[in-house]
Amino acid sequence: METSELNNLSVNKTVDARGTACPGPLLEAKKAIGGLGSGEIMELLSADEGTRVDVPKWCKKQGHEYLGTLEESGYFRIFLKKS
Amino acid sequence: MAKLTIGLSSGSIDKLTGAGVMMTGAAADDYEIEVYVLLTAARAFIKGNETLTDSVVEYPAHREYMIDKLNELNTPSWYEFFEQAKEFTDVKIYICSLAGKLWGGEKKEDFVDIVDGLCGIGQYLDAANEADLHINI
Repeated sequence: METSELNNLSVNKTVDARGTACPGPLLEAKKAIGGLGSGEIMELLSADEGTRVDVPKWCKKQGHEYLGTLEESGYFRIFLKKS
Repeated sequence: MAKLTIGLSSGSIDKLTGAGVMMTGAAADDYEIEVYVLLTAARAFIKGNETLTDSVVEYPAHREYMIDKLNELNTPSWYEFFEQAKEFTDVKIYICSLAGKLWGGEKKEDFVDIVDGLCGIGQYLDAANEADLHINI
């Protein structure tokens, strides 16, 4: 998705994992996505560069759709859609 | 479900923390995990020893720095990593019976609560042989 599309996404749940290092944000995402319905969108906030790389791969393995990442000052906003 | 088998041969906090990171990462990917605690690693799993921070194998001169930095980074302790992995997936932790005896543990009750039982080396070798991924730390 383009930056403008990501910025305008209607997010169902935001998970703030900026206080944890790898693999904490991935575990936070896994924990939170269970509470979402199919097709709902989660935004994961992480200050960890490794997480930015891991989440798209994790989505592919788990069957979720990785939508894209926005880089903010000191952290990433990572968007995914539950399968 | 893919299976990860870990042969854990070190009880120092750097190796234990590394194992914990791998376990939680594998748990996020829904791996089934079996950990076999071998010889010197068993010391850390004796009840009461899970909070010890006296051993760092790599760069021992930097032990204090490493512990402080891990805390600063809000990194869970090795034990908390192992507990987290257990929350997310099927994790079994076995202590090699010889390793247990070396450090004064002969029964499951002698070890920390996350331990599932004692084992012989044959069980570890079978688990390593059957695993999709086998790591020795």
